[in-house]
Amino acid sequence: MKKTSDFKNYKKEIMVAAHDDHLRLALSRAIKSFRSNVKNALDKFPHTVGMAEDVLKIKEAAIPRMEELARQAVAAIEENNGKGYIARTADEALGIIAGLTGSNKLVVKGKTMTGEEIGLREYLEEKGNEVYETDLGEFIIQKMGSRPMHILSPSIHVPREDVARLFSKVMGQEIAPDSKIADMVAAAREYLRDKFFRADVGISGANVVAAETGTLFIIENEGNIRLATSAPPVHIALVGMEKLVPTLSDAYKVSEVTWRYANYAIPSYVSLVSGPSKTGDIEKETTYGAHGPREFHVIFLDGGRTRLAKYPRLAQALYCLRCGACLYECPVFAVTAGHFGDKYFTGIGAVWAAIVNQDMEKAASIAYTCLTCGRCRQRCPMKIDVPEMIIELRKLLAEGDSSNAGN
Amino acid sequence: MTYLADNIITHQNILGVTREQSARWAQKLDLPRQAETTFFAGCGYQYSAQLERLMSLARGVDKSVIGAELPMRFARFQKKLGLNLPGIYSNVLSLNILPGREEVKPLEAAIKVLRNLGIQPGYLAEDEPCCGAPLNHAGLQTKFANNARKAYRTLKSFGVKQVIGIVPYCTHAVSKLFPLHIDGYDLEVKHFLEVVDEKIPSYKLRYPRKVRVTYHDPCQLVRYLSLVEEPRRILKAIEGIELVEPEWTHGEWATCCGGGGGFETVFPELSQVLAVNRASELLETGADIIVTHCPGCIMQLKEGLRELKIEGVEVLDLSQVVATAMET
Repeated sequence: MKKTSDFKNYKKEIMVAAHDDHLRLALSRAIKSFRSNVKNALDKFPHTVGMAEDVLKIKEAAIPRMEELARQAVAAIEENNGKGYIARTADEALGIIAGLTGSNKLVVKGKTMTGEEIGLREYLEEKGNEVYETDLGEFIIQKMGSRPMHILSPSIHVPREDVARLFSKVMGQEIAPDSKIADMVAAAREYLRDKFFRADVGISGANVVAAETGTLFIIENEGNIRLATSAPPVHIALVGMEKLVPTLSDAYKVSEVTWRYANYAIPSYVSLVSGPSKTGDIEKETTYGAHGPREFHVIFLDGGRTRLAKYPRLAQALYCLRCGACLYECPVFAVTAGHFGDKYFTGIGAVWAAIVNQDMEKAASIAYTCLTCGRCRQRCPMKIDVPEMIIELRKLLAEGDSSNAGN
Repeated sequence: MTYLADNIITHQNILGVTREQSARWAQKLDLPRQAETTFFAGCGYQYSAQLERLMSLARGVDKSVIGAELPMRFARFQKKLGLNLPGIYSNVLSLNILPGREEVKPLEAAIKVLRNLGIQPGYLAEDEPCCGAPLNHAGLQTKFANNARKAYRTLKSFGVKQVIGIVPYCTHAVSKLFPLHIDGYDLEVKHFLEVVDEKIPSYKLRYPRKVRVTYHDPCQLVRYLSLVEEPRRILKAIEGIELVEPEWTHGEWATCCGGGGGFETVFPELSQVLAVNRASELLETGADIIVTHCPGCIMQLKEGLRELKIEGVEVLDLSQVVATAMET
């Protein structure tokens, strides 16, 4: 019986993780440095806390208007000579992206959780494309054939010795297990370098989008997204609808709060992308595809987000900035990493699983794994009340969904 | 857990013990039933011995058969957890709750402290209703709401106006959740810590020996009831106690002991891992005594120390520490 094995496997999986000393060590180091980094970042820029309150108001107002903002953003992007799309479902989004990409193409990807959510890489590979993850952590995960264990640091659970072994195999050159991390990073750079320039398509997500101008804000440190979205002739961005806010200044605030709670005083790069590359330098005639992409496509994914927005106590899950800070505060995550979760991790992941992906089975496993201890809420810049959502979700599981929101 | 739910509704406590049995700890204390201010003892301390037995059995089962299924509906979920609950219960229920037993000491101590502070609370003994918090926690809100209304009527029928709670879950339920389901809710609910914190500055308190004490904040007290400074002020007011805290994980940032309201019954083995983690964090302070203020946390932290094979570090309830400091 399938249903038996789901929970059984889940429980086994988290217990195996919980007894993995390797994993525990990697996580405890990560948690320690995260806490001290975030403290330093907030001490240095104390205005962030007040700014987070502004951002919460922005999100509260924007979430009920997601669809309208998406239409506005699509119109703005098209005015900028890009193409905008609204995908109702994950399948629709996959269809649009696969249609734009075609097959036998070389694709370079920046990290996108929304891409993970809909299984974008796997889908494009099935269609006969060669897809490279270019975020270092995601690259490691892809080559390991594993799945991300943290939304910002997907390979948080992989110690350096394992990376050395993996790279030796993938790159066909010996990288000693005691190599410096810098040498491993250099090896990945070397390996991926020409992929960016040979690629037919570059894919990214976005941290936040300003609807008035159709501008994507993309926060990163490695510079892989800048390359992936600039070097290939086509840039496709996949964005969850909940990332839309009305104005550029709103979007800037969301960005700053996101990176600060993600433990960065300042990230190396914040890219603002509003359209394809263009030049008017020869006789003022606008020509597209100068040094950057000739084509710019943005897909706004609903995929259950508007459904989630209708649940009074659960809609706050859509305020999530994906800074990942809560994960470091979760006592269960500290021993299991992303095994406690689905597409998104820990307690809040249960809400996404239940309402966005409509996988109640998975949602129930996560909902009953949450301690409801509330330390995530303490950390969250949006003060998302995960315990409240978990109790509400348990109510839906135990007593059934009496609201009409699910229909 | 449906078993727990049925017990709450029919027996008015989580384990289905008779109320007379559970109220026995207070026999010698001679607490009046009719009183405007009542001491709400809750299930946690009164049944912790049974719960502890239950947990060790559950852990055994959890390790041998990871045989649980996850159905859509709660009842199915619980039934198929793979625990022979009735069997385990009949086993643990053979325990008796008598005055002087380890687990009810915090309750006896709390009464003593309140009396020393000039407060004469009543106690409803076997008439004390169960707050039903686990029902809410499990998602059975309708049952919780019905139970809350019934509990409220019971409290009112004894003329109760103020409630002094001690178990974090119960106190949170009675103070914050009951009003959501009861129109015109008019009980004034305070936690033991608040009452003590108000009165204690005028008392001289001395611990019999010099000790390093660390305080573990129960989730419900610190993040649901915002009782952050109260326990610390109380501990710091006691001569002979040096309060030492973990670097990051204290106050609002305290790590959950892994008890997490019913968590331990679904994931007993993982719960144990978390208990060990929290105990380790607290031990890093070099404390001689780990003080906390929740029957669930006490159980978990003791379990953590046992797993770590640590001897010579005590786990005490804050009410016991204050009571001891009043004796000298």
